[in-house]
Amino acid sequence: MSGAPESEIQLLIERARSGDTRAFEDLARREERALYRHALRIVGTTSDAEDIVQDALFSAWRSIASFQGISFRAWLFRIATNRALDQLRSRKRRPELPLDPPDDDEVTWAEPVAPGPDLTQLAGDREALAAVDAALEGLPAEQRAALLLRDVEGFAYEEIAVITSVEIGTVKSRIHRGRLAVRNTLISRGWRGPEG
Amino acid sequence: MTQEHPHAELSAYIDGALAPAAQAAVRGHLETCALCRTHVAELRATVALVHALPDPVPSRRLVPRLASAPAWLAPLRTLMTLASGAAVFLFIASSLVTNINFLASSGAATTATSANEVSRDAVAKQQAPAAAGAPAATGVPAPTGSPFAAFAVSPTASPVPAASQLLDSARGGATDDPQKRADQATAGPSGAPGAAAANAVNAEDNARLTNAEPQRSPLVNPLLWLTLALISGAIAIALHRRLRSSV
Repeated sequence: MSGAPESEIQLLIERARSGDTRAFEDLARREERALYRHALRIVGTTSDAEDIVQDALFSAWRSIASFQGISFRAWLFRIATNRALDQLRSRKRRPELPLDPPDDDEVTWAEPVAPGPDLTQLAGDREALAAVDAALEGLPAEQRAALLLRDVEGFAYEEIAVITSVEIGTVKSRIHRGRLAVRNTLISRGWRGPEG
Repeated sequence: MTQEHPHAELSAYIDGALAPAAQAAVRGHLETCALCRTHVAELRATVALVHALPDPVPSRRLVPRLASAPAWLAPLRTLMTLASGAAVFLFIASSLVTNINFLASSGAATTATSANEVSRDAVAKQQAPAAAGAPAATGVPAPTGSPFAAFAVSPTASPVPAASQLLDSARGGATDDPQKRADQATAGPSGAPGAAAANAVNAEDNARLTNAEPQRSPLVNPLLWLTLALISGAIAIALHRRLRSSV
C-alpha cells in the first residue's frame, strides 16, 4: 500500500468490511500488479498467475470479515501465495522440484571460475537479470516465494512467517539459501564478487 | 573452518533480522574477515539484482468487479457473437454475388455492344429504299450470345434489378415478342421505317447506358458486412471481458 497514508488504507478497509465493494476494489487495485508479479514468478505462466490473482482477490472479498492480525497487504499476499503454491502442488504433468528440500546448513559458496564483471555493477545488466530470473526458476517454490516476499515485496521476516505459515527460523533459512543459489548461479557464469 | 564464519547468518544480518547480540557479533566478525565481507557484498548485490527484475504487467484486469454485471450483458454478448458470425457469412455471400455480378455485367456489356451493332445495321437498312417492306424484322436478332446474358437478365438471379432492367430495355422493344415484331413488320411502308428507326436508336441509347457502372444496392456491398462483422465482434469481445472480470 505504498504511496497512501495508513489512515486512508484503514478507512478503505473499514468500508470494505462493511460491504463497500468500491472500497475493496480500490484496495485490491493498489496491489493488483504486485500480486501478479509475485504469482507469476512462483507459477511461471501468465494465464495461471492472472487466474490465481483474480481468484485470490475474490476469495479475499468473500472472507474479508475474517481479516485481522496482519497488514491488509500481507493478508492478500498470504492468500495469493497459498494459491500459487497449491497450483504448483496440483500440477502433475511435469516433474516438479520439491517445494522445500531438506534443510542443509552447509550450503556451499561457489568460487569464481575466472575474473569477470563485478556483481555490484550489474544492477541494470540485462544478461545478469536474465540469469537471476533463470536462477529463481530453479529454486524450490517455497524458497522462491520467501525470497521474493523479502527482496521484491519488502516484507519483514515476521510477516513472511505469517504469509507462508512457517516458523521464522525457516523463513531465515529459505531466504538465505535462495539468495545463495542465485549468487552461485551468477558466480558460476563468470561474474565475481566485489573485493572485501 | 565454517564454524568460524557466520555464513548462515549473513542474509539475516544484511536484513537487520538478527537479535541485537547476534547482529553485533556478525558485525565484529566482518571487521576482521575479508572473505565474509566479500560474501556480504555479493549477497547485497544479489538482493539488488532480484529487486531490479522487470515488472510484468497482466494482460487483463485482475480486480474482480464485485458489483454484479447487468443481467442483459450475457444475452447481449451472445447476440453480438451471433451477429458477428452472420455478418461474416453475409460478407462472404455479398463478395461472391458482387463478383458474379461483375462477370455478368462484363458479359452483358459485350451483348449490349453486339445489339448496338445490329441496331445500327437495322437503321442503315431502313434508310435504303429497297428495305421499305419489312425493315424492323431484320433488326431483331435476340442478343443471347453471351453465356452471362441469362444471369444478367433474370431478375431472380441478379441482385441488381436496376441493371437487369437496363439490359432488358437495352435489347429494346423489338426483342420482346414475335407478335410485336410481326405488327411492326406489317405496319406498312409509311409508318414502319420511322418507328423502327426510333426503336433502333432507343436501343442504342439504352445499350450505351448498360456500359455505365450499374446502380448497386448498399446491402450487396461486402465492405458493409465486413465492417458490421468487425464492430459486432469487437463488442462481443469487450462484453466477454467485462463478464469475465465479474464475479
